[in-house]
Amino acid sequence: MATYEKHHCWSLLLRLFHWMFVLSIISLVTTGFYINNPWTNTMIEGGTTSLAMTYMRYIHFIAAYTFASAVAIRLFLYIFGNKQERILDILPVTGRNIKNLYRILLHYSYISDSHDDRLGHNILAGGSYLITYFAALFMILSGFYMLYPEVSFWQVWGVKLLGSQQWARFLHHCVMWWFLFFVVIHFYFLIWNDAKHPEGLISSMFTGVKFKQKA
Amino acid sequence: MADTVNKTLDPQVDRRGFLKGCTMAAAALGLSDAMIPKLVEAAATAERPRVVWLHFQECTGCTETLLRASHPDLARLILDIISLEYHETVMAAAGHQAEHNLMETVEKHPFILVVEGAIPRKDGGIYCKIAGKTAMDILAEVAPKASAIISIGTCASFGGVQAASPNPTGAAGVQDYPELVGGTPIINIPGCPPNPIAFLGTILHYLTFKRLPALDSMNRPLFAYGRKIHDHCERRAHFNEGRFVEQYGDEAHKLGYCLFKVGCKGPETFANCPAVRFNDVGVWPVSVGHGCTGCTEPNFWDTMTPFYERLPNVTIPVAGIVAGADSVGKKVLGVTAAAVGIHAAVGIGKRLVKGKSSDQE
Repeated sequence: MATYEKHHCWSLLLRLFHWMFVLSIISLVTTGFYINNPWTNTMIEGGTTSLAMTYMRYIHFIAAYTFASAVAIRLFLYIFGNKQERILDILPVTGRNIKNLYRILLHYSYISDSHDDRLGHNILAGGSYLITYFAALFMILSGFYMLYPEVSFWQVWGVKLLGSQQWARFLHHCVMWWFLFFVVIHFYFLIWNDAKHPEGLISSMFTGVKFKQKA
Repeated sequence: MADTVNKTLDPQVDRRGFLKGCTMAAAALGLSDAMIPKLVEAAATAERPRVVWLHFQECTGCTETLLRASHPDLARLILDIISLEYHETVMAAAGHQAEHNLMETVEKHPFILVVEGAIPRKDGGIYCKIAGKTAMDILAEVAPKASAIISIGTCASFGGVQAASPNPTGAAGVQDYPELVGGTPIINIPGCPPNPIAFLGTILHYLTFKRLPALDSMNRPLFAYGRKIHDHCERRAHFNEGRFVEQYGDEAHKLGYCLFKVGCKGPETFANCPAVRFNDVGVWPVSVGHGCTGCTEPNFWDTMTPFYERLPNVTIPVAGIVAGADSVGKKVLGVTAAAVGIHAAVGIGKRLVKGKSSDQE
């Protein structure tokens, strides 16, 4: 019978970031789909003062600011967070991390059963989160360009990086799909890891605590 | 009544028409009415600026819009305040005489250059030639000596329809040839066609204040292209309320509801169409029940099509798939879910084959 000991892994700020990110993405994707192709029509449904599109946009913008704040918190933690939260813990640049990437690839393709003993993210997970933050930064930039098209700061950078408003809209919509792909993969590997290695991976995002086998 | 005495081609503009035109331009420029006398004075007394008007890859629609404005005063006013030295559609001279006029102006006088149409680059620019010279050569000869360049229409501004993918002639706008233009300031008046008021306003601004109007980051004058169509649209309230036309000719269309769902590009297009309107009868596309096609934006033939959908299609090069972003997205999501399912199945299969020993690490 293995005995486990508690390890503090995720700070309160990181857990706050995570749930801000989750809730804002759910709101943004839902209202975003509505704004792109409104599935209600108050002319058919008989509403007279529903202001459907106005409310959808209102929620979208509130969620967008929450999303931007969440990303700012995460970027802050990449530099000033605890050991597991810092960017050097997930970039494949140190010997320890490259070794982990190699082992995790073998592990995920069922070739090896050995599990790297580390507290933070594995390199594959950390890398996919990093890509997601880049996608998030893109969404924030293109979003502000569309929200404030006449403000010269956003216009100058928006035109240089994205071109016309229509192109920004198109890319904003395409990159949105990354978040949906990510959700599927994220959920799957969370459950997969939690089933294979009972270290409290899922609950750690609520409690901040992971469990390790006592050596 | 038929125009038996051909008044529309009478170059004389009466005082009433003159003041009206200046007032319209002042309104478009957002100037107070106290400025109208200054505009009138500048237009009436300043030396008429010489204008050279070059036609390249174009349909002459911009010129036609200008000359055939239903209110003839506008065209006459423009022709009254500028001295048109070279314009292939309306000039009397032809052949060598016309080319001589062009060179005479370019070499000896200050002038404003107006370009209508795109300039092809491919194969040395042979796809557009006038008087034996390519459009690129003519531009290189004329543009550096001009005091300012006005690119009229989307073709001269951004390339237009001939620059649409795959752009067989390598067409591009004037601003894409900085090496030929040489530091001459460029002002874009895009549109397919642009409203003549935008051109008139730019010219009057130049005459009155001796400088070009303020521009946005795509070199379009802010007085005409500073606001999104969507923000001044008369159907905006229907958008906010969620009342949409589902298809052309339905009840909502007859009631004049928002054209967003049938592909109106008003939310991503900058122009003053809802405010200034066309043809002196107060119409513009949305007011007559057709969505905006986004004709003042760069590459609108590629990015605003399909005109009756919200977003451009996604092209996957090797597979040759052209489909809507959402249908591609759903397929990739399906593939992701299938991959996840296969991964899980392999794990379970391996466990069944090897027994539970793999749990004891």
